[in-house]
Amino acid sequence: MAGRVLEAGLQLLDRQLVDRDGRLAGKVDDLELELPEGGGPPVVTAILAGPGALARRIGGRLGAGLEALASRLREGDDGRPARVSFAVVKRIGSAVELSVPRAELETNRLEAWTRDHLIAHLPGAGDAPE
Amino acid sequence: MRRSWMALFLLLLGACTGPVRSTSVYESKAGATAETVASAVETARLAVQAAQDGDAYGRYLTQLLADAEKDADAAQGTFEGIQPPDRRADQLRDQLDELLGQATDTLTELRTLARRGRFAELAEPAAPLAGLAEELHAFAEAHA
Amino acid sequence: MKRLFAVALGILTAIGGFVDIGDIVANTETGARFGMSLAWVVVVGVVGICLFAEMAGRVATVSKRATFDLVRERLGARVALVNLVASLFITFLTLAAEIGGVALAIELATSVNYLLWVPIVAFCVWLVIWRVKFDLMENVFGLLGLALVVTAVALWRLDPDWGGLLHGATHPAVPQGEGHPSWWYFAIALLGAAMTPYEVFFFSSGAVEEGWSRADLVTNRLNVYIGFPLGGLLSLSLMAGATLFLEPRGIQPGHLSQVALPTALTLGKLGLAVLLVGFFAATFGAALETGLSCGYTIAQYFGFQWGKFVRPADAPRFHLVALVSIVLGAGLVLTTLDPITVTEYSIVLSAAALPLTYFPILVVANDPDYMGDKVNSRFSNALGSVYLLLLLVVAVATIPLMVLTKAGS
Repeated sequence: MAGRVLEAGLQLLDRQLVDRDGRLAGKVDDLELELPEGGGPPVVTAILAGPGALARRIGGRLGAGLEALASRLREGDDGRPARVSFAVVKRIGSAVELSVPRAELETNRLEAWTRDHLIAHLPGAGDAPE
Repeated sequence: MRRSWMALFLLLLGACTGPVRSTSVYESKAGATAETVASAVETARLAVQAAQDGDAYGRYLTQLLADAEKDADAAQGTFEGIQPPDRRADQLRDQLDELLGQATDTLTELRTLARRGRFAELAEPAAPLAGLAEELHAFAEAHA
Repeated sequence: MKRLFAVALGILTAIGGFVDIGDIVANTETGARFGMSLAWVVVVGVVGICLFAEMAGRVATVSKRATFDLVRERLGARVALVNLVASLFITFLTLAAEIGGVALAIELATSVNYLLWVPIVAFCVWLVIWRVKFDLMENVFGLLGLALVVTAVALWRLDPDWGGLLHGATHPAVPQGEGHPSWWYFAIALLGAAMTPYEVFFFSSGAVEEGWSRADLVTNRLNVYIGFPLGGLLSLSLMAGATLFLEPRGIQPGHLSQVALPTALTLGKLGLAVLLVGFFAATFGAALETGLSCGYTIAQYFGFQWGKFVRPADAPRFHLVALVSIVLGAGLVLTTLDPITVTEYSIVLSAAALPLTYFPILVVANDPDYMGDKVNSRFSNALGSVYLLLLLVVAVATIPLMVLTKAGS
């Protein structure tokens, strides 16, 4: 995955993240960039996803509201948005395909919480669609 | 920006409620009331006719008559709540009130009979409905 | 043979699923006040929905992604968020209206007050979304919705002056005693009812749910181009029934019982029974679709897993959104707000939101990255652009007309 030059705005942002099993794992809400030591264009080191990251991009009052909501939903961590290291990005096509299952991603926290605390209690949650 | 939203809000509010300042506005509200009650009366007429033709479920007819009564009552209630601005409006009100009273009384009676399943007895109390409908339509036309 | 059966099923389902509470209310109220003078709006609406539904279905079939999903990619997070908020609000309002509509239909059949039915209806809607397979759900309610054909049968039975009806439809003119603003307001309402945004989200998400592939493109086109216009004919027969029965008597159909009058009095007990089945199926089916659409739009914006093609445990937030939407929608109806009034507002506000919802579809359908060789033809683009212009005019005119006519009174 090294050294591919992309127009990050057009080709990466707001793309769908798809995990190893084809499950949807969020969108590319923001990017973590690093300026390399020896100069040159910034390098994308990670994808940021989740309400916290999105809020920053949307900005304004709406973004602030989203940020407040997001911080409520996060379970007491250091307050930074969920991060998907660029190392797990397998392929960038129409969607951004990852090489790991979504359960291993930080972005899955809210989904897992919803499942464990709410949805799993309803009968039939684990049944394949009949 | 905010002031224009306020203005829009007040405009909407004024459109929904409010005392009536001129006779012509009162007149058009009276006309609209007559139209609504005419609609209720006509609905009841159809229901009674269907009962006589044996065409429809008793439950459906009862629902029709209950809906008609509800509409007429609501229209009358709203109209009563409006203060007539002057003497001419007063006259208008008396004229319409009489029609409204007749309508709501008849519709209540019909609904009561229907609820008790006495569909065969609907024809007689429903007799004045035809004339009432005509008068209400005429009133609505004259004062819309 | 099996192929033919599948196509026929698709078309029939499209016909039966076309009408919802918005169409029922809009067409009957319009017919009762303006006769057939606004029939042309239904035609415009049907052509419009055919155009954009085909596009949305094609996008989903070729790119395997639902339209709303792609909106954010193409137009950016901010624009898509505005789109999301507007679409979600409208779809939610429509959901509440449909739940109310189901309750009203059951009330008409049972004489038990509709408010008592609302919680039961809401629960059943959720249960079907939770458990029942997607295509089974679509097929059952789509086919049951065909019961509304009884309105056309009633029309035929009435043996009306077809020439007169046609004349009224082809010579649009504001009837005597009615004002131009009201006429245009009802035109907007009719258009909003025919082209409700949720139909497009649902249609494109449904294409992904059912796993359509390129081989299904033709089926998609047939369903849309044959099914929707025939569904539009059902709308028109509601309008015609109201024109013949209600307009001459000055009856304003503010209750479902009055909407049923033309059919009930022409075809008697049996006709009424079939009509009630049709009302129930149309509104319940639409409640399912709008409930799912609330989930689809939010999930597709934020990118989390959606769809009934996975286990509920694998799409927890999607199902949570659907559940919460249904509960809130039922709550809105339980405030005793008249469901017919909620419907009236939902269709008019839908009309105002149409440019927001349809513009992204046009953009995405032209993108060769997603569509490959199946991008829009020049004709589709031309027609689509004309429609967007029209919808923009409609959107701008809606609120002023609403204020001017006091919401059509």
